[in-house]
Amino acid sequence: MKLFVPSPGHIDSLKELLKAKDKIYSIFMAGSPDYIGTGRSNLASPQLEDIAAQTEYAHKNGVKMELVLNSSCMGGRQLTPEGYRINHWYVEKLVDMGVDSIVVADPYLVETIARDFDVDVVVSVLAFVDSPQKAEFFEDLGADSIVIDSNVNRHFDVLHAIRDSVDCELKLLVNEGCLYRCPFRYAHFNFFSHAFGPEPRPNVLDDYYYLKCLELRIDTPELIIKSGWIRPEDIKLYKDITDVYKIGGRTHFVEWILNCVNAYHNESYEGNLMDLLDCPKDLKDLFYIPNKSLGGVLEKQWMNCKKVCKKCGYCKTLTNKVTQVYTKGGTEFEALAPWETFAVKA
Amino acid sequence: MGNICGESMITSELLKNRAGFEENLRKLIGRPILLIELDMFALPCGCSGITANMRGLEVDDLEVFEPQLLPVIKEMAANLEVKPTVTFARLVPGSSIVASLNWRTLCPRCYPEFARGEGKMPRPDLYLLQFERRK
Repeated sequence: MKLFVPSPGHIDSLKELLKAKDKIYSIFMAGSPDYIGTGRSNLASPQLEDIAAQTEYAHKNGVKMELVLNSSCMGGRQLTPEGYRINHWYVEKLVDMGVDSIVVADPYLVETIARDFDVDVVVSVLAFVDSPQKAEFFEDLGADSIVIDSNVNRHFDVLHAIRDSVDCELKLLVNEGCLYRCPFRYAHFNFFSHAFGPEPRPNVLDDYYYLKCLELRIDTPELIIKSGWIRPEDIKLYKDITDVYKIGGRTHFVEWILNCVNAYHNESYEGNLMDLLDCPKDLKDLFYIPNKSLGGVLEKQWMNCKKVCKKCGYCKTLTNKVTQVYTKGGTEFEALAPWETFAVKA
Repeated sequence: MGNICGESMITSELLKNRAGFEENLRKLIGRPILLIELDMFALPCGCSGITANMRGLEVDDLEVFEPQLLPVIKEMAANLEVKPTVTFARLVPGSSIVASLNWRTLCPRCYPEFARGEGKMPRPDLYLLQFERRK
C-alpha cells in the first residue's frame, strides 16, 4: 500500500510525521498561496526555501514529497502572459528542488507541466474525475496519476471502468467526509481557491458552504453515512483498482494525522468513525459512530447500491441504529445518547 | 472528549453552562444542535459579553421558538453574571444559518448603533432577541 499523507506545511510537523516514515510513501502539502494557491483551506505558507528544506528532509527519510497546487479557480490569471510566466517560474523552482509530484486541478496546468517539466503530474480530486472518459482525457494530457472524484468511491462499476481505461496511477482519497454529490462542491472549492490563493483574497467572516453543510448533517446525519469515505477495513475491497491511497487533512494536528495513518496502514480502527473524517471536523464532538459497527456494509449494500435513497432507506435505518450523540460534553456528566433521542424527524 | 483537569472556576462554569445551554436548546428544538464554542469577551471599545458559536441552529428556530428561547438565554446570562444590553443572533445574511448567539453589554459608543431603528434586524446579519433601551 502506498499512503500519501498530509502535512500542515512546516518542518516541525514534517519531522513529527516522519516518525512514522515506515508507513508513509509520500507527504503532500500546499505551496505558497502567492502563486497557484490551493482549493482547500490551508495553515502554512511555505516559501521556496522552506519547501526545499522539507523536500530534502523527506528524501533523507526515504519519503517522497508532493506539492498541491490544486486551485479550482484562478480567475483566468493562469491564461495571461504574466500568469503563465509566474506559474511556470514557480513550478520550475519546485522541480529544481526535487519535488517528486505536483497536484493540479486545472487541465491547462496538467498539460503545460507535463509537457515542460520532468515531474509527475497528478490530477487533483478537485478536477472531479468520475468517469473513464475524463480519466482518459487527463491521461492524454499527460497525467501520471489521477485522484478519482470521491463521489464515486462506492461506485465500483465506475472505478473498474476507469481502471480498465487508463494505464496511469489511480489514487483514492479515503477519508473525505464531504456530502455525497455535494451541491456546494464547486462554489466552495472556488471560494477556497481565492481565499488561499494570490491577492486579492476575500475577507469572509463566515463560510456559508461549511456552515450549511454542518446544518444539513446535524438535521440529517445519514448524510454522513452516505459520504464517499472508505473505512480502513474496506481498503481490501479496492485492491484490484489501486494500492495508492490519499489521506486528507492538512489542517489537522499531527496527532490526528498519525491516528489516520495508523488506521489505514493497519486497515483497522477501533473507535469513532468521525475521528478519521477530514471534514466535517466540528461534528466529531457531536456524533459517535462506532467504526466497527459498519463492518460488512460496503459489501452487503453500498457496492451494489442504486443510489435511489428515497425508495431505499437503508442508510437512514443504519444511521438510526448506529449513530449516537454526545450530551453534556466537556463536563463530568458527559454521556452518549441514541440519535433518535433528539431527532424529531427520525 | 471529557473534562480536563486544571480549569479555573471561570472556565469550569463556562464548561457547565456550555453543556447546559446546548441541552436546553436541543430539548426545545428537537435536534442535536451543537454549541461549538462558548466564549466570554471584552472589546477595546468597552463592550463585553458572551458569544455562543452555534452549529445547526436555524433562523426558523429563532422565529418559531423565540418565546421559549428567551428564558433560556436569560438564564445563561444570569449564570455567568452578565447583564446584557442586547442579545442577538448573528446570521449568515440571506441564508438559514445562525452562526452565533451573542449577549452584549454595550458601551456608550456602541449603544446608538443598536438603538437606532425598531425592527428585529438592524443589519442583514443581526437578529435581535432582546434589547434594553435606555430610559
